Amino acid sequence: MAQAEKQVTEDLTTSQIFDGDLSLNAETDVRLDEQKFARYALIGDVMRSQKQDTPCIDITSSFAAALEQEQTYSEPAVEQVKETTPKSNVIELSAWRKPFAQVAIAASVSLFAVLGVNTLSTDATLPAGETLQLQSTPFAGGVSPVSLSTEPALESAAKGIRELQQQRIGALVLEHQRQSRMAYALQQSGESNSAEKQEEKEQ
Amino acid sequence: MRALLVVVSVFFSSWLWANESVSAKQLLKDMAEAVHHRNFDASFVVVKGKSMEPYRWLHGNQNGTEFELLSLLNGAGLEMIRIGDKVTYFEPKSEPYTIQTDSIAGPIPEVLFKNIDSLKESYDFVLGGKGRIVDRPAQLVRLEAKDDAKYNYWLWIDTESSLLLKSAYVNQQGELLEQLQLTHISVTEAPAEQLLELSQKQFPEAVSGLLKTLENGTKNNWQIGWLPQGFELLKSDRHKLDLNNELADYYLFSDGLVDISVFVQRPLPGQRPSGALSSGATTVYVHNTGAFDVSVVGNIPAMTAKAIAESVKRPL
Repeated sequence: MAQAEKQVTEDLTTSQIFDGDLSLNAETDVRLDEQKFARYALIGDVMRSQKQDTPCIDITSSFAAALEQEQTYSEPAVEQVKETTPKSNVIELSAWRKPFAQVAIAASVSLFAVLGVNTLSTDATLPAGETLQLQSTPFAGGVSPVSLSTEPALESAAKGIRELQQQRIGALVLEHQRQSRMAYALQQSGESNSAEKQEEKEQ
Repeated sequence: MRALLVVVSVFFSSWLWANESVSAKQLLKDMAEAVHHRNFDASFVVVKGKSMEPYRWLHGNQNGTEFELLSLLNGAGLEMIRIGDKVTYFEPKSEPYTIQTDSIAGPIPEVLFKNIDSLKESYDFVLGGKGRIVDRPAQLVRLEAKDDAKYNYWLWIDTESSLLLKSAYVNQQGELLEQLQLTHISVTEAPAEQLLELSQKQFPEAVSGLLKTLENGTKNNWQIGWLPQGFELLKSDRHKLDLNNELADYYLFSDGLVDISVFVQRPLPGQRPSGALSSGATTVYVHNTGAFDVSVVGNIPAMTAKAIAESVKRPL
């Protein structure tokens, strides 16, 4: 308690002397913290950009050194990319994707979710007269929802079917995406084929 | 003197008018030209309803060989690399593969960078207004579908560099369903280092036999009674779907701009009404006939997908 009080008066005095509020004499000198005084002076100098000769401790270099020693979480990924550069073959390229392997499943699932969620809003905005039902709520019109919630067996069966359906929709979307990558090439070859046939006919 | 002035001004205005009517198509051709010849590093986002997909798009042309990298930056990612006329797709959880084609099938229909004359039977090229996109002056070019059962496609093209700045699928009511917007683009003298490094790498061999002829297909397993104007069958076969291993009779149609997939499958257990799902411009319609399920996927309106799905019958 007494120690704390002494600390406070010391702080106060140092600051007051520094500001010139207290004159420096034998009485106040006892209570002056020299280190603190030096620090105040340094702060003042730096703030006024007058730190030409003041001893300045450059911590950036030691900080950088410390950072280098520090383990980073992204380090494995960085290393992998580095490794791929010199070897440069197909398998290595696909290894880019390794850190993301776990995201992959989640992503393919999230695709359905996006579709499912969007349906709700899209369906609401469909012009009147378009009576499309939501695929994401396949039981709305079929089995009574009440019986679903009361009978766990039915409920889990319904959930299973819904999952199957979501899986199928995901598979369809992915397949469409992949197939349409070939569409343009197919179209080109189709056009050249028909052009060739035309030529044959003409001959 | 006055007469001469009138003649000159009439001539000039008609020349302007003619110039204007040419330029919708010409702008698209200039854009295709620019995209093939410039070295650029661009970022864009695709906004589909409430979801958003960011992409990075690098292109370079060195001594006539084109290098292109398109990569999806969110989620598991998807990387597409093109060197000349070979495109390699890197997908999560599956082996990369290469297709022998000279354009990447990304979010922008590849025909727009190619011969757009093939589109003129199904779409009108219309010049729209001018605007400012990504801090650049842009000219709107609209591809208006001649058939109301399809979406329109709008493009905003940089009037200075001719590069694509924005594009969108637009429905017949004029609503933007799916937008692609550049957020940054820098055009450089030389191709990016990253692209040139690609030439040092080895890619999978181009998959052969992908371009099967229709004769071997399963064209006659089902009758697809109706399609919007301009769609042609590109491919038909029976194969297992990759994700759930389900067998499907598959049909791929295209009108040059958009592709439609039709799947005929064994019905799933349980009583399910037919219905549509959509994400941006993409519609998935699942039609349950009882005896078989028909699913239609493509960038088409839900009602169109429904009509296609319901037109599928067993052959007589």
